[in-house]
Amino acid sequence: MLEIRDVHKSFGKNEILKGVDLTVDKGDVVVILGPSGSGKTTLLRCINFLERADKGTATFGDLNVDLHSASKKEVLAVRKKSAFVFQNYNLFNNKTAIENVAEGLIIGRKVPKEEAYKISRDALDKVGLSNKYDSYPSQLSGGQQQRVGIARAVALNPDVILFDEPTSALDPELVGEVLEVMKDIAREGTTMIVVTHEMGFAKDVAKKVIFMDGGNIIEEGTPHEIFVTPKEERTRRFLRRVLPGEYDFEI
Amino acid sequence: MDSSLINVEFLIDTFFVALSGVPIALLVTVVALAIALPIGFFLALTRINEIPVLNGFTKVYVSFVRGTPIIIQIFVLYSILPLILSRIFEQYNIDFPIYDVNPLWYAFIIFSFNTGATLVEVFRSALKTVSAGQLEAAYSVGLSTAQAYRRIVIPQMLVSAMPNLCTATINLIKATSLGYAISLQEITLKAKVAANVGYNYLEAYIDIFIVYLILCITVEYLFKVAEKRLSRYKALATA
Repeated sequence: MLEIRDVHKSFGKNEILKGVDLTVDKGDVVVILGPSGSGKTTLLRCINFLERADKGTATFGDLNVDLHSASKKEVLAVRKKSAFVFQNYNLFNNKTAIENVAEGLIIGRKVPKEEAYKISRDALDKVGLSNKYDSYPSQLSGGQQQRVGIARAVALNPDVILFDEPTSALDPELVGEVLEVMKDIAREGTTMIVVTHEMGFAKDVAKKVIFMDGGNIIEEGTPHEIFVTPKEERTRRFLRRVLPGEYDFEI
Repeated sequence: MDSSLINVEFLIDTFFVALSGVPIALLVTVVALAIALPIGFFLALTRINEIPVLNGFTKVYVSFVRGTPIIIQIFVLYSILPLILSRIFEQYNIDFPIYDVNPLWYAFIIFSFNTGATLVEVFRSALKTVSAGQLEAAYSVGLSTAQAYRRIVIPQMLVSAMPNLCTATINLIKATSLGYAISLQEITLKAKVAANVGYNYLEAYIDIFIVYLILCITVEYLFKVAEKRLSRYKALATA
């Protein structure tokens, strides 16, 4: 359903992505792991044109675009098929929770206002914020803000939702509520690409786990293949670092 | 001959003379703002996004206006503009009495030119208070750049721009008093002309003083109300 081919991206002399391929099937949850600076976030941002790749192509169903030279129209078309959940939530500060969710429906997708608000209420209910419709972001906790961010993505009913380290900016005690919401929507069959450091989430929810390092995909496979029987030394080293104790145990 | 320090009767009469200059002062202010606001905003965008040629042009424009006294800008434009225009009209055989043009038109041009430069800097700093993530989020839900600016960036930017916009507007109102130099029928000129008759300058100046004070305090109040309305989404957080 989503196919990314040969993505290259440099910032100045710093080559961040060195030819990355990625295939995601409908309903899959793909988790991308890797040390910081490995290009995970840049890859997600290139898919949604928040960053222009130097080279690469993407196929969304029947939509074929060049990630480097796509026209404005193609960019908009890709954005209508995808949604993005940001590390820092990036809720619209001047809009209430429900307005945040409805904005993309009413303005971006021309859904009639009444219908858009109904969809938005449903989305907020789904993430457990049925009592916060009219709160501004400044009145919500980090966990609540990120749940609005997820509702904003879900309401658009996109082909794929891109999650960029959705729990990294949260206080530890708020991480759980956000992961729960993500598990819920994964169970409903939402196609997701998730960049995260939450190994538990990767193990429980992912269909496919991808390990990236230095701008390349080093290894990919099922959670079992990556966490229990990794083939690459770099993967093993990374897992030893992030899962001390637990990992040694399993080999 | 009245020997008291202040001629109260003249003071009161001239107050209303000065007051009759308010419409012209406000007209110049409003027109200059209407022209300078969009210019200032778009030039601020060229600065922030470092648009090649326009960015450099804007820098020069802002430095030029900031680096010269407004009264000199008025004199220069007031003498150069008709000179250039009459030359052009001559060339194309257009019969236009350029030296009979109402000074109001010059005032519009000069004060727009001047305020535009101030507003570039006001908007540039205000735009920087809105994080890049707001624009990215707007893009990610399918908004175009124009929609993102209109609905997300500008409403937030205005909140932080308000105090400086208020200062710029008040400075502009006060600067229209320099219009007397080009015979603009505004507050200062009207009161001074009245004072010329009996040399009652002190009374006239007091009147001018009071009229500007009332005007500026009113504008300040209006901006405060507007700021409160625009920043509702922030104020609620602490309520």
